Amino acid sequence: MRAGFVNANIIHASTSAPGTQSEPDRVPDLEEEIEMRSNKRIARAFTVAAAGALTVGLAACSGGGGGGTGSDGEELTTVGFVAVGPEGAWRQANETNIQDTFTEDAGFELKYAPATNLDQKSQIDAFTSFVDEGVDVILLSATEGSGWEEPLQRAQEAEIPVILIDRGIEPDDNSLYVTRIAPDNIEVSKGVAEWALSEFPDGANYFTLEGPAGVSVVNERNEGWDEVIGGESSFNKVGAQTANWSTEEAKSVFETVLKSNNNDVQLVFAQNDEMGLGAVQAVEEAGLVPGEDVKIATIDGTKGALEALAEGKLSFVAEYNPLFGETALEVVNAVLEGEEVEPYIIVPSEVFDSPEAAEEALPDRQF
Amino acid sequence: MTGTKPVQARLLELVRNQYFWGIVAIALLLAINVAADPTYLSIRYNDANGALVGNLIDILRATAPILMIAVGMCLVIATGGIDLSVGSVMVVAGAVSMEYLQNVGAPDSVGAALTAVAFAVGISALLGLVNAVLVAIVGLQPFISTLVIMLAGRGLAKVITEGQNTTASNDGFRWIANGYVLGLPVVFIIAVVIVLLVAWIVRRTALGLMIESIGMDAKASRLAGINRRGLLFTVYIGSGILAGVAGIFATASVMTVDVSRTGYQLELDAILAVVIGGTSLAGGRFAIGGAVIGAFLIATLDKTVVFLGVSSSATPAFKAIVIVVLCLLQSERVRNLFRQRRAAKASAPKEVVSA
Repeated sequence: MRAGFVNANIIHASTSAPGTQSEPDRVPDLEEEIEMRSNKRIARAFTVAAAGALTVGLAACSGGGGGGTGSDGEELTTVGFVAVGPEGAWRQANETNIQDTFTEDAGFELKYAPATNLDQKSQIDAFTSFVDEGVDVILLSATEGSGWEEPLQRAQEAEIPVILIDRGIEPDDNSLYVTRIAPDNIEVSKGVAEWALSEFPDGANYFTLEGPAGVSVVNERNEGWDEVIGGESSFNKVGAQTANWSTEEAKSVFETVLKSNNNDVQLVFAQNDEMGLGAVQAVEEAGLVPGEDVKIATIDGTKGALEALAEGKLSFVAEYNPLFGETALEVVNAVLEGEEVEPYIIVPSEVFDSPEAAEEALPDRQF
Repeated sequence: MTGTKPVQARLLELVRNQYFWGIVAIALLLAINVAADPTYLSIRYNDANGALVGNLIDILRATAPILMIAVGMCLVIATGGIDLSVGSVMVVAGAVSMEYLQNVGAPDSVGAALTAVAFAVGISALLGLVNAVLVAIVGLQPFISTLVIMLAGRGLAKVITEGQNTTASNDGFRWIANGYVLGLPVVFIIAVVIVLLVAWIVRRTALGLMIESIGMDAKASRLAGINRRGLLFTVYIGSGILAGVAGIFATASVMTVDVSRTGYQLELDAILAVVIGGTSLAGGRFAIGGAVIGAFLIATLDKTVVFLGVSSSATPAFKAIVIVVLCLLQSERVRNLFRQRRAAKASAPKEVVSA
């Protein structure tokens, strides 16, 4: 039981669920019981007492759970959130925003299950346990696009609506889920590509720093970029490599790329902020000036990236707006009332193309 | 005729040497890179920061963290154990140092950098100590004990940084991974000094022999009066500290700790480096020189993949092929197969001559 909880990393955002509250209550009783056992003389008497306390504790807590929902006059809607977990500032902002929106005051009990080290299997485990538990709605941010057909079908059989948050699934079969709420990756990366066209009218040698191969975000961000840049013969792609969203790997990859191209790279398309910041450090190490010799464009729009843009180290930051908890809340309510919703809800995003724009946005940046 | 024989024998000895194929593989990878770009090996001097610049220098820098964990792993494996926690210890060390530097907020203070290093090494030693207690006193299997720390360690790093990727700025700390002394990267110099120190300690004293003896036959070594418990403590704490240093190297490079990526799966790189270097996973024997070559090979391989522009999806397969071929060349059985075939070929013409 314990091990299961640790593996799936399920953290209960609310404590009023019947059954979950018994856990913390029972533990001290058991500890008491163990202590008592060491004292042999009065062991029996106290074991009886401890058992009594345990029963009372359980009764009190199941009563408390029932009373809690009863006094509100309405039952809390349980929402299972199969999340990505620590990945970067963007994800942090997105998941915190969701957690802050689906509160008890709003009538929800959110069960947050981040993946273990971005591992898809831990997500599928958490997903199936939500289905078995019979939550009212499941929110899913998949770490990997493929392989979700079976769990989604199980949810469908159990008549639990699934809403995709940010990440899509592959193949994109929208009969398996209700809707996907996300900023449009293709549009966002098209925005970056269009900026690149206007910044380099005569073309440039460019390099793409990708996320892990096979992730839907990576495919979509490549698709949008290639749609615009692919047709421009003046733009020469010197290569693309994964740096697994990581600053450290991006620095190591890009220092080698600079050497293999004799520093003849003018543009970097980093598919997230962290990798862009790694590329900045590689450029500086090579004795070049980021923003002048090599212009780096990133997607996400986290605080760190906007600070770097304000200092002129990054040249372009396209926001991929993470703060759509409110939209998700409206959609969940609509779905529970049986309304039809669009299969894809696009969250609007901004772009920052100058240090001034970054400075203006920095003070109220939440992520 | 008599003069050629010792040369042949010496050549044969060289081929059988455990380091030989690792070095050949590194040379081959470098040759492939040179074929792709003739200037690959060129190194130039950068006046601005007194640094040598070149692909080889990048390889030296990338080798440093792997070198640390590989040497620690090498000693643990020699006792018949394994340390799966090195990657997680790296991220904990990185998390502690970044969190400290961020909170202390002194970007030029050398003292703060030293304190951060001390904290990182301290907590790594502590995690090594937990491994040692689980293995030597509780008597758990090393695989299980270190697996526990591997899982718990990354969790601990998340707790320390509140699940955030943490950045900090401190010139001294940054210098560890990005500075240069006499044109060479500081990080590589530190790594080499530490490796030489460890090698000197284990080979110039009886420590190395004793470590091997408990890996070879625990019972016999106990009867010989060897303190198994003390040795296990030395080895696991040593591995923890070395992993902590690797964690400092990895985070100082970009002054960021990435809780889900820093040190992720590097325990596998370390084991690979040790095995490539000819240390048997069964324990009882170790070759630090081999682990060093293994670490160089892995770093060269990583850099080659990027330099050649192997596509992201093909990268793991490319690495796997190189390693499988290398392991086959090192395998006794495969070598015997070749030897038999050569012997058969050699014996065939002899018969013709005699007839």
